[in-house]
Amino acid sequence: MRLLAPVSLAWLGLVVPLVLLYVLRRRREERSVGSTLLWEAALRDLRAERPWRRLIPYLSLLLQILVLLAAAFALARPAGLGAAPSGAQVAVVIDRSASMATRTRLERAQEVARGLLGALPPGGRGMLVGAGRDALVEGALSSDQVALVRAVNALRVEGGRADLDAAVALAAERLAGAPSGSRVLLLTDGAEAGSVTVEGLAVPVEVRRVGAPADNTGLVALDVRADPSPGHPDRASLFVRLRRAAETPREVFVLASVGDALVASRRVELPARGERSLTLEADLPPDASGRAPFVSVRLTAAGGATAEPFDAQPLDDLRVAPSPGLRRLPVFLVGRRMPSVERVLRSDADVELFETTLARLAEREDDSPLDGLVIYAGELPAEAPPGDSIVVAPEQPSAFELQVGAEARGPRIVSWNEDDPRMRFVSMADVHLGMARPLRAPGARTLVETDVGPVVVAYERPSGETTFIGFDPARSDWPTQPSFVVFFRDLLERARMRRARGGVPAGGLGVPLSVPAPEGQEVTVTTPAGESLSARSRGGVALVSIGSEPGVYRVEAGGRSLAALRNLDALGEVDLQSRISLTGDGEASAHRIERAEDHRESWPWLALLGLVFVVLEAGWATRRGAA
Amino acid sequence: MNAVATVSSEEPGVEPSSSLLAPDFLRRLERLKLLARRRFRGAASGSRRARAKGSSAEFADHRPYSPGDDTRRIDWNAYARLGELVMRLYVAEQDLAVTLLLDRSASLGVGTPPKIQVAKRVAAALGYLGLSQGERVGVVPFADGVARPLEPGRGRGRVGKLLRYLDQVDVDGTTDLGRAVDSFLARRPRPGLVCVLSDLLDPGGFKRPLDRLISEGHEPAIFHILDAEELEPTPGGDFALIDVERGTRVEVSLDRHALAAYRARVSAFLADVEGYARARGLSYVRVGGDVDFEDALLTYLRS
Repeated sequence: MRLLAPVSLAWLGLVVPLVLLYVLRRRREERSVGSTLLWEAALRDLRAERPWRRLIPYLSLLLQILVLLAAAFALARPAGLGAAPSGAQVAVVIDRSASMATRTRLERAQEVARGLLGALPPGGRGMLVGAGRDALVEGALSSDQVALVRAVNALRVEGGRADLDAAVALAAERLAGAPSGSRVLLLTDGAEAGSVTVEGLAVPVEVRRVGAPADNTGLVALDVRADPSPGHPDRASLFVRLRRAAETPREVFVLASVGDALVASRRVELPARGERSLTLEADLPPDASGRAPFVSVRLTAAGGATAEPFDAQPLDDLRVAPSPGLRRLPVFLVGRRMPSVERVLRSDADVELFETTLARLAEREDDSPLDGLVIYAGELPAEAPPGDSIVVAPEQPSAFELQVGAEARGPRIVSWNEDDPRMRFVSMADVHLGMARPLRAPGARTLVETDVGPVVVAYERPSGETTFIGFDPARSDWPTQPSFVVFFRDLLERARMRRARGGVPAGGLGVPLSVPAPEGQEVTVTTPAGESLSARSRGGVALVSIGSEPGVYRVEAGGRSLAALRNLDALGEVDLQSRISLTGDGEASAHRIERAEDHRESWPWLALLGLVFVVLEAGWATRRGAA
Repeated sequence: MNAVATVSSEEPGVEPSSSLLAPDFLRRLERLKLLARRRFRGAASGSRRARAKGSSAEFADHRPYSPGDDTRRIDWNAYARLGELVMRLYVAEQDLAVTLLLDRSASLGVGTPPKIQVAKRVAAALGYLGLSQGERVGVVPFADGVARPLEPGRGRGRVGKLLRYLDQVDVDGTTDLGRAVDSFLARRPRPGLVCVLSDLLDPGGFKRPLDRLISEGHEPAIFHILDAEELEPTPGGDFALIDVERGTRVEVSLDRHALAAYRARVSAFLADVEGYARARGLSYVRVGGDVDFEDALLTYLRS
């Protein structure tokens, strides 16, 4: 409980004159009478009749003091913690980590935030910061309480861990220079392993905990690998890892299913604060249309499927993964043959290779984009096709978005981008180029730089990405290097992963789906719970806001059926115990994380109490006799 | 000739004081006879029977003859029957000594109209009646002592003097009926009717002084002068009541409870006075409040 307008307690000073009014004699109209004998006797009778009568003035004084107390405290606006005094600014930071999905933690935080931002003090302004993977200002500093409450209501849990420290720092930085009494209020369940700096910032920081610590068991990993055998061509191994974040062991059931069909199950005894790994065997045949299925692994308390929540944290009780069949990547070789590239592709068992030409592709009756990786050698279409592609040794002055420079003889490689995932484990140190064309385009990412310019670049579009190689590998010694194989394997893996996710970039729970789609096209998403969402594409991408529910999100975009898999990817979120630490100036802070209270101002109750006292006092005043 | 004409013609200088008596009231008083319940020894013959045997025509008793007695009053018929000389005794008629013991203390100065005005009018009426019927009427104003009195006198010719005297009486001092009675009795007045006109609001009480009057052969008649506001105060308001005689101050809020307690005290006080008068066979008349003084006076005279 804090007072938002403590200066109003100055009204308590009225107690002094009030008491003085009682101490000083009341000014009465003087009236001459023949004799006061009878009056003196009458008053004696009155006092003798009611011996407590002399208390009445003091009772009246007591009631009036109580009225003053109630009124003064009401004006001081006593309210729950986190509230701000008049004219102050308050930034509410809400933890959006996965652990906040536990029971009603987020709802509780939203409730507290609504109470605070929906009842800003006079002249006050509020701000809402969402603390997810990134700290985002969800509601800008404003006095528009309706907009702030709307922003609070729109807040969703993300599947990852929250960078609370960055969020608090961002909020404090935005409030720098704010009037006295301004503060940052962090609402979190504290189920983060990190620390939050709460001292030495521009404004004071209050940390309030929502929810109580809870026991939890979660799925922390799921991998599906093909394991065919002569009798079971569709056999797959499901590698599952579970974690128990509680002080007691627990028996759980692990159920694997495809769609509604249960394909494997296992009973597992989990130790206290321990992990267990297990492997399930299951046949995962393609569905009737030949498409590979998605595998769901779920934790239940009983042997069968149940709709009841397994435990406090529902986000880690389900994981989904593509079946191995989905990993076979169609690769289309368009143009002239490149034996070195073909050799790499054929060495990958999960690649299905097609050789074709632009003319044959144009003759296709189905004009839908190719569902795989397209490698152009020599000839190119006018525009980049949707999906992923590789362009090798372009001969035209321009290739899609790029400008292709003049052919340079024997350029020397001067650097390569080791941080790019396409160049993972790729070293160009011993690669020599016989002939190459520099490639230039604004927005393109340079992967390999020569003394004549970039010769390997990547260009990402909402609908896909294209990797450009400005030279013919046959005119270099690169194919003889291991890095050549690794480079193409990286590109294949990247295309495979994108395809396995249905063309929708990966993301955590609660992160909007980014669906590539032509401008203005309507994209419809069906959530795992069957809810239908839609959004229209703008700038080549339709952003569809989704909840924090794990599972398979089915996407329909222009006749294409895509799928987006969402799993809890922050394993630390399985532990729902409060373990965050508060620091200040590099040392542990003396701050205590207290339980979040509602921002309920008590002044209406105090005002009501004061009114009751007034009524009582009026009752006494009208009923009492001589004072 | 009516009383008004008598007053105005015989006492031309009494107009200011004659306002004490309304002409209609005087005409009514003229027809009434002032009654006393006991017979008094009178210094002169009057229209009232006296306890002493006298020479009036009304037989009263016999007594043995003594030398020197008026032989005209020997009852010869009794001598014929009894053979002894006995004297016929007749009821002697004597005038009544009427003393108006008028309270002039400061407490009589309050009220609407002031109680002293009411008391003066009652005293004037009593005096007028007494003088009209040949009684000896005197006025003794008192507060904590006796002021210069109007000596007893007879005859209608004293009406003007009486009214002028009453008109000059002013309020002052505190009420002390005991001292006043003591001072009055110290003059050894002839026993008679003593009309006590007072509010009786005396811290020393009223019973002992009146008992003294009775024990000295007087017959007190109580004219209790009270103001309407004293009998029934107007409700509401916070007041500091100042006792005009003693200067004491009583703070009071005239609410329901306080008024009820006061009314109880007033009732007890009135009942005490009336009970006292009844117990001693005294006349008691309350004047003021809802009792008009003229009506009260007529009631007294007819009793």
